[in-house]
Amino acid sequence: MRLRAIFGYTAAGLTVLAAVLTPFVLMGFFAHGFAALGLHVDEVYSGGPKVRTVQNGAYSITIHRTVTPRPLQSEKPFVQLDWSPANALPQHVSDVVDVDGDGQPDVRVIFDVPTDAKAPLRVNVEPLNSRYEAVRNAGKEKYSRLIVRVDNAVLVRIPLQH
Amino acid sequence: MATNACRPLLARPAPRGVGRSVLLTLPILLWALLMFFHPGANPAQLERIAAALTVCLMSALFFMMMKTGNTYRWRRCFFVLLGVLFPIGFIHNLIVARGTMGIPIEEMIAGRTPFCFLVIPTIILPAALTKTLVFPGSILSSTHGIASMVALWLACTLVLGKGWCAYACFFGGIEEGVATIPARARIRKIDLRWRYGPWAVLLAMVLLSLALFEPAYCMWLCPFKAVTEFVAARNAVGVVQNVIFILLFVGLVIVLPLLTKKRTQCSFFCPFGAFQSLFNKTSVFDVRIDPTRCKTCVICQNACPTMSLSKESIARGETLSTCMKCGACVDACPRQAAVWHIKGTEVAFKPERARLMFLYAAWALAVMFGGSIIAQGIATILHFVI
Repeated sequence: MRLRAIFGYTAAGLTVLAAVLTPFVLMGFFAHGFAALGLHVDEVYSGGPKVRTVQNGAYSITIHRTVTPRPLQSEKPFVQLDWSPANALPQHVSDVVDVDGDGQPDVRVIFDVPTDAKAPLRVNVEPLNSRYEAVRNAGKEKYSRLIVRVDNAVLVRIPLQH
Repeated sequence: MATNACRPLLARPAPRGVGRSVLLTLPILLWALLMFFHPGANPAQLERIAAALTVCLMSALFFMMMKTGNTYRWRRCFFVLLGVLFPIGFIHNLIVARGTMGIPIEEMIAGRTPFCFLVIPTIILPAALTKTLVFPGSILSSTHGIASMVALWLACTLVLGKGWCAYACFFGGIEEGVATIPARARIRKIDLRWRYGPWAVLLAMVLLSLALFEPAYCMWLCPFKAVTEFVAARNAVGVVQNVIFILLFVGLVIVLPLLTKKRTQCSFFCPFGAFQSLFNKTSVFDVRIDPTRCKTCVICQNACPTMSLSKESIARGETLSTCMKCGACVDACPRQAAVWHIKGTEVAFKPERARLMFLYAAWALAVMFGGSIIAQGIATILHFVI
């Protein structure tokens, strides 16, 4: 019983010490440990890793890897394209993009860029390759079919045929 | 309990003198000063005033705990203030940064959704199985990042166990504040089977999050979305989600606590609370019932805001695993049978020593985490007033 009590008080003392060390040592230690686990945010949110960038005059188009949602997720597979910087875009964008990098055009993406950065965006996508779905006047209803402005870029997500 | 052979009734310990209470409060005062005015901190004038007020408040409340020997009442002052001031500071920041409480999809894609600890139990399985975090945030963002919130939660859980729910959870503060309002409970008889509710919600949300690969609780059932931030209603589904948030908030956080004087959301619904109960096993501090003094009057059971005592558990001399160490039962017991305890030691052997050790650890974290939220809320109010 006495030994257990000694362990108990030792653990209690260490707990108080842990509380004192929390802002200086423990939080940083745990945060770095968590980051070192190699976890990543679900690609349905992040858009997946960037694959390559195509320069188009004053702006560039960044193409992301195709994102394939999990079986029960309510989204379709999609690919994300980023137009940046947004302030270098013309008022009307109509670009043909080779998404898969095979040298053949895959989609034509058409959208207007209002001068007001908070104005809603709408996008049309004409598929030039049957792998991609047509998008008609889409806003930001679904993660797999949208156009949004994030910081100084315009992001378009194009759904793929299953 | 063994009422015939019970120990003589002990007088409640005399309140400490002012000098001794000041001495015991001094470490907390220094700690609070270190947290808010450490070298390198250069707050603006309003923030400096808010920080000074917070240091005074947290130290004064700890002083009163020491002076009166009462834990629950003074902890509740802090906790309710935390619950009231958190939405004020948080919503103000949201409005300044975004102009709305609704999270636009742009913010989610940019990984700027503030990470909330309530999501933690539901992201563990997807993360363990696929290394994927099903939350639209950033892992290493400087503010509200997933890593920093997980680290804070882990450190606090290591120290407090389920005590998180009484010393850190700002959502619980709202509920506890509402439960304080009525003089007496309208509903007194509550079927104790409701206590399994949080475990059922936890199981359902963990499985649903794994299946749908989304933070299901956050998306569908979190009552506190109503007073923090919610999914911007882009379509009919979004409208339904927001209606559910508001109904759950009104029902579980306003109406039921007013009728029962209990923390009903925590007791019947909160999956994070159920998850946190698991860590009471690893915490070295707990509350016990000394069977030699207990007369089974169940005053403690009635006083417990989360229904963490039953006749059976009192007979065993224990609280249930959902005990959040708020001290309500300890303060309510007229025979001092409910006592603070360090595991491994004899029950009721120097309980004040156990109380002091626990309170130093808990209050240090309360000042660090809750204190910063209170300071932010006060600064927001000062911003509007001055």
